[in-house]
Amino acid sequence: MDEETREKIDEIFCDVIEKMAFMFGESVPEDELPPAGSEFVRTEMTFSGATEGSIVMAVPAQMCAEVAANVLGVDIDSDLAESRSCDALKELLNVTCGNILTALAGEEPVFDLHPPTLSEINEEDWNNFLSDENTHAYNVDENPVLLKITMKS
Amino acid sequence: MAYNILVVDDSVTVRAVIAKTLDIAGVPVNELYQASNGQEALDLLAEHWVDLVFADINMPVMNGIELVERMSSEGLLDTIPVVIVSTEGSATRIEQLLNKGVSAYIRKPFAPEMLREVVDQVMESKNDG
Repeated sequence: MDEETREKIDEIFCDVIEKMAFMFGESVPEDELPPAGSEFVRTEMTFSGATEGSIVMAVPAQMCAEVAANVLGVDIDSDLAESRSCDALKELLNVTCGNILTALAGEEPVFDLHPPTLSEINEEDWNNFLSDENTHAYNVDENPVLLKITMKS
Repeated sequence: MAYNILVVDDSVTVRAVIAKTLDIAGVPVNELYQASNGQEALDLLAEHWVDLVFADINMPVMNGIELVERMSSEGLLDTIPVVIVSTEGSATRIEQLLNKGVSAYIRKPFAPEMLREVVDQVMESKNDG
């Protein structure tokens, strides 16, 4: 992936999370990521149409409720934030995916976005994801976030 | 005048966000109905009077495009404007939807002001028509 594409993806992700969840993200080298904890969540979705591919995001498990609380405008300790935490993270990925595809492919191609899935991952999975050279790493309000998009050429 | 609004999205979070955004934007809402796919939306439309529909594109069971087509074939689009709220930014897709009778398109993420502006435009156009 060339530098221009990487920068575009970084810009879009940070813009989406700021507008959706009022959280501020910045692209950082992996050795400057905030502490990650030991429990993680991974959400993934595929797309087809003009190009096929997938996008994956991983975050510390405790960040999900924070995202949901910010998106919904409720307290992080509320039942609503807890119950919507998985759905909010999947929607964050969905919006990120749509915006990245338009930015990378232009406004003419039509894509079909497939529903995101979510699963828990362990520290080893997190570290494997982190060590992938195509993974983007972000510091989002002192939470580490990993993102990777794969497009068939 | 307060509107009866139907929000159609498979994400319960998005439905809640649209409801909250309508409130923040000061859109007068009488009843806010929610559906998680196009079929549920059609079932609700058969039982309740709705002034305006917000619908996503990608949903299970029946997606937003099928919903618009069904509403069109049943004559519902003549009286109930549909605003698509989606992550997709394809101009081709947007043009297709507008040609099918969709009144407006909002791309996620969106600001409350944008929602208000679109509601005002669409409802004004509906009342003029």
